[in-house]
Amino acid sequence: MRNLFLSCFGWCAMAVLGVAQAPPPGASVSGGGGGDFKSSTAEGGADRIFNVNSDSVDMENGTMQWKGSTMNLGNSRAVRARFERYLAAPADAGDLKRYIAMMEQINALLSPANINQENYYRNQQEAFNLLFKAAEFDVDANNCLTIATQVQKIWTMKSEFRQIEITKNQLETLRKVQEGIIVNRADMIEEANDARSQVATKAKPLGKSSSGTTELAYKVKDEARTQAEILAKNAEMTALGLKAKIEFQSQMVSFLMARRYRHSMITSAFYRVLFKGGSQNIVVGAKEVKEFFPISDFVPTLESFDMLSREAIKDVSKGMLTVDDLVKQGELYSAFERLQETFFLGEFEPVVMAYPQEKKREMLMLWKDLRELQRLGDEHDLANVEGYVNKVRGRARDFPGAPILSKVTNAMNASNMSLLSAKSAAITGDTAKAEAALERAAKIWPQNPGVKEFAIQVVNRQDTLAQKIPEFDRLMTESKWREIFNKKLEYALALAQDKERSEKLRKVVNRVGELDANIQKANMLASQNNPYLAWDVIVETYKNESDDLVLAKTRSDIAPLVANYAQLIGMAEKLEKDGAEAAALAAWLSAQDLNPASPACGAAVKRLAKSVAENAVVKAAGAVPAPPSASAGDDVPVPAKK
Amino acid sequence: MSKINPLFFALGIPVVVIFILVAVVVPRMGGGGKFADLTPFSAESYRKDWATLQGNAYRLDCQVEQQLAFVEGRGRVLAVKPIEKDSARTTGRIPIFVPVSAGDSFEVGQRFKCKLRVSHDLLVVEGLERF
Repeated sequence: MRNLFLSCFGWCAMAVLGVAQAPPPGASVSGGGGGDFKSSTAEGGADRIFNVNSDSVDMENGTMQWKGSTMNLGNSRAVRARFERYLAAPADAGDLKRYIAMMEQINALLSPANINQENYYRNQQEAFNLLFKAAEFDVDANNCLTIATQVQKIWTMKSEFRQIEITKNQLETLRKVQEGIIVNRADMIEEANDARSQVATKAKPLGKSSSGTTELAYKVKDEARTQAEILAKNAEMTALGLKAKIEFQSQMVSFLMARRYRHSMITSAFYRVLFKGGSQNIVVGAKEVKEFFPISDFVPTLESFDMLSREAIKDVSKGMLTVDDLVKQGELYSAFERLQETFFLGEFEPVVMAYPQEKKREMLMLWKDLRELQRLGDEHDLANVEGYVNKVRGRARDFPGAPILSKVTNAMNASNMSLLSAKSAAITGDTAKAEAALERAAKIWPQNPGVKEFAIQVVNRQDTLAQKIPEFDRLMTESKWREIFNKKLEYALALAQDKERSEKLRKVVNRVGELDANIQKANMLASQNNPYLAWDVIVETYKNESDDLVLAKTRSDIAPLVANYAQLIGMAEKLEKDGAEAAALAAWLSAQDLNPASPACGAAVKRLAKSVAENAVVKAAGAVPAPPSASAGDDVPVPAKK
Repeated sequence: MSKINPLFFALGIPVVVIFILVAVVVPRMGGGGKFADLTPFSAESYRKDWATLQGNAYRLDCQVEQQLAFVEGRGRVLAVKPIEKDSARTTGRIPIFVPVSAGDSFEVGQRFKCKLRVSHDLLVVEGLERF
């Protein structure tokens, strides 16, 4: 059974190793999908080939290996059903000890040690009578009646044989009489012919040469018919004997192959008694019996049948003792395996049939759990295997669940890795590779939730593509970078095949990423009590990203902290724009006083100072007004003198 | 033996010294000097609305903070800090243009009395005196 589950998950190991290898001889191609027990594995196969003492049951093919020979148990479903029925059925009622004693008594009555000329018929009759008593037991299933019928038939045949013998003797007597008459008639004809020929040579020519030949001819014909009848009777006797022999041996082999060992032995014992020495050779089932004895020159005999039956009975008894002992030890799983083997070897043995129902019930529960576990394995329902393994472990502590769980984990990992490979291939646009990887992942673990999810994604992808591309184009036209950035993964998947749009998306993502970095930097500077530098970052970024809502929010958050600074910068920019560079420079200097580390202020001061210096003479020359005079009367206010 | 009472010398000399000091130092302390007749420059007014000061000349006491630019043959732009009488009141730096004709050297921390003219928006130094 352990090997059943090892083979059940054989495919897992193949998937993990990634090695395609042919299944071992005798192994289930489906990876154990159908109750193949030890015989399904290469190991089990080797055991069977080299170790004739190894017994195993092959549920898949409905056969059983016993002592190196295959016994056909019927089709697999029937085999399973029979075993399950046995486990579920109540133990057979009746005095089994008495039944066994009765069967042994029949054997004893017919055994060479007890039978002789004096009690030859009496023992046969007693044994014959006991067959009817044994047939009354349920466990016998009326098979003793079959033997009795067979024996009765032989006795009838013997009676017929005797009748034929008498008839044959009578015919022989008749034939001898007929032969005497023919000889007598022939002599008479010869004498008459001789006398007539003497008279003819002396007196007159020969007339009628003979008389009575017609009667002679009829007599000869009669004698030939009698001879033929005798030969026919001889043939009939031979055929009758052969038929009886074949029928009896057939029954004997049938009992053996049906694993009715005790009935086979009784049939053999009757055969030995009923048939004379010349008929003791095996005609029927010789080939089958030879398979049990791997010897090239082996000649099967009646004793071979007896030996096989006795071996089987002994093995069954020992098997049931082992089962009982294992149950007492609490090793229910091993007990279950041994019971299974023993059941199929000696299904009709009283000791098997009488196994207590409560113990069988426990094993039935285990059997059902194992069947369910096997079903989960067949369906590759890996997620539920662990739960069932634990359930079986709870019922049978000796159940080898660790290798199963290990293989299940490996299979799950293999499936997930294939799925990952499928996703990667899908993203890069390699559809063929993605399909192959997905198929592999689904084959290993069909109910992998990731497979389902991915399949849905793939199915929806076409719809998504149809929606996403126009949406992306619209957002690009409207310069809504932030919205594109927020759905970058969806667009990345949808535009994977479109290189031009993918490049645009990449640029947008970089742009917004940089913007976010600046916003984050500004927030960090503000939180470090350095709002002026934060404002510088915001102002610089705002030049290019004035539409970004996140930036606008950050700007409005920081603005109250740097109101004067912002005002100075605003004023400086306005003055510069109006051409008042010196005044703008003064404003920038004031701003720099507030934020000495500001690169923006530094740059502006440097730029404007240079510009002012270069343009100053022109300005000064053209702008210096004439000294004010009292008579001028202009509106320019004259500062009050001190 | 002199007829002048020594007490006269004892009291007279300090009085003369005090007089001299009052006559020499006080006018300086009062912001006078070379451009004493000019109105002090108001940086605040300039920042607020330079246009109203256009064409005017002012006196500015300041300290050189930084030379912002120098153009050969034209002059230089200095960032100076006005010196306020009220030391508690601080005024930010302002840029002034010193034409090359001024012919002086400037170092950071030097203090000057300047005559400024507001030319358009530019504060042009027309005369200066170190103090």
